[in-house]
Amino acid sequence: MSFLRKHAAIFIFLALWEGLSRFQIIDPLFFPPFTKVLATIADLFKLGVLERQITASLYRAIPGFLLATIIGVPLGLLLGGWFKNINGFLELPLEVFSQLNPFLLFHIIILFMGIGEAPKVTIVAWTCLWPIVFSSINGAVNVNPHLIKSGRAFGLSRIALIRKIVWPAAAPLVFAGVRLSLGYSLFMLIAAEMMGASSGLGFMVMRTQEAFQLDRLFATVTVIAFLGLFLDFLLRLFGEKFLLLKMESHLNATD
Amino acid sequence: MKPLSLAAPGFPASSPRKSWSRSLWPRWESGLQKYGVLLFLLFIWELSGQAHWVSQEIVPSLSLSLRAIAEMWIQINLGSHILISLGRVITGLVIAIIIGVPLAFILSRVWPTLGERVDSLTRVFGLINPYCFFPLFVIMFGLGETPKIAVLSWVSLWPIFFGSQAAFRAVDPQLIKTAKSLCCGPWAIFWKVTAPSSLPSIFNGARVGVEMSFFILIAAEMTGATAGLGWIIHNAGAAYETDRIYGAGICVVILGVGLNRFLHLIRRGFLAWSDYMASPWLYAGHSSPKPVNRIILWLSCLIFVLVFGLGLWKIILGENLIIARP
Repeated sequence: MSFLRKHAAIFIFLALWEGLSRFQIIDPLFFPPFTKVLATIADLFKLGVLERQITASLYRAIPGFLLATIIGVPLGLLLGGWFKNINGFLELPLEVFSQLNPFLLFHIIILFMGIGEAPKVTIVAWTCLWPIVFSSINGAVNVNPHLIKSGRAFGLSRIALIRKIVWPAAAPLVFAGVRLSLGYSLFMLIAAEMMGASSGLGFMVMRTQEAFQLDRLFATVTVIAFLGLFLDFLLRLFGEKFLLLKMESHLNATD
Repeated sequence: MKPLSLAAPGFPASSPRKSWSRSLWPRWESGLQKYGVLLFLLFIWELSGQAHWVSQEIVPSLSLSLRAIAEMWIQINLGSHILISLGRVITGLVIAIIIGVPLAFILSRVWPTLGERVDSLTRVFGLINPYCFFPLFVIMFGLGETPKIAVLSWVSLWPIFFGSQAAFRAVDPQLIKTAKSLCCGPWAIFWKVTAPSSLPSIFNGARVGVEMSFFILIAAEMTGATAGLGWIIHNAGAAYETDRIYGAGICVVILGVGLNRFLHLIRRGFLAWSDYMASPWLYAGHSSPKPVNRIILWLSCLIFVLVFGLGLWKIILGENLIIARP
């Protein structure tokens, strides 16, 4: 019941779309009715096309995203927490690197890596890296120094200081950055695949556009949107479990 | 950074007069700290070209890239392309703000129940990649600038919308009650309480939006445009003119950093108190947020408006720009 109420707007929107298109108020050639889009999705799954493209896209997005997280979070925390002086040195270069546009980079990376999977994963990782790094730096810098001082007073080592104080205090901000960059990863991946790939959801979008198969285009876009929602949902679930735990322990510690 | 002085406060450490070299040194030091690594990287880039560590075909040296910029500036009117690109981003941003902020206000303050109901729908919309709908936009709006600006507005609309919605929802009800008890009308409450308390978050949303739309702009210009930096890069990539790719890339990076700096400046100039509110311990003791030079602030606002106006004018004019290398 609460699920229905919470998501009523989606159902109303879909019903509106269906109705407007069925009764030809908007051109069904350009906006095929939703049921037809669903039927197309089912068809594509039966043909096995969609599965292949989804796995191809995920095999690029997930490694890129994970790579960025694995590099970005420690880098940001270290720069913000430990090596504040180095952070001063690296501030401008990091800003410049973060402004290096992934599509611009695509043209250059292809010269080095060829046209396989590697440049796409690199692009995704590069795009995801910067929100994570900056939010981690921010999180580590914004830790209340009184907490750190009291931690030092209790004789915590540097590693323990990061594990017990800096990390729990910075985690919400870090996590916000990670979530943002998950959104970025799909966004940029689809665009990159549209520009030059022979598989993946973005490639499928491009091909259906060129063949003017608008029902397939809508089917692909719907799948992309729900893939994004699903991944975000997974990440949030993970974070809520994880952050709640952290926050509880944090509160206990300060009590 | 101040050198540590052993003298008691109130007594000058050694000589009261500083020689100019000593007073200049800290500035040098901070400048080196800021720009040192970047300059070093640029130097390595140039050196790698001059010493033939890497092929000039793949990585043209810095001087070659700069020469390409100068060449493009003279031959293919690079300035106009830059203005057009910036004009598109800013137009998209303005449209997104005009739609997003009032919409968020309606959905969170005027009619909060409706806002909660459509929450899931807006989240789905925020995830839809407008780039996929580019051909559909072309069908709906025709060729030309409108589909591109529609894509850019869509991209920056959602961060702004979510940012402002969160902000409007988080306005402290105590403050509103207090304002009401002081007999403030709805307008006064809006201008004195709601707007100031939500501006920082709206601004953050706008920053994310600008960044995203600047990324997407290059892609949108690569697929279907007749002007703009993305178009230059795409053409140069197709013709294997690597020096032009790097040259235009330098322009993109400089513009991105400039835009970012401008937004920071605005934040520091007009919303400095919000940083203080967010983490007051950063300003504990002596250090308070550094005030921004008012002249620089207003000058950069003026430049921003000028660039926007010129870019829009060029877009509307639809100048014919040739790009081929003679």
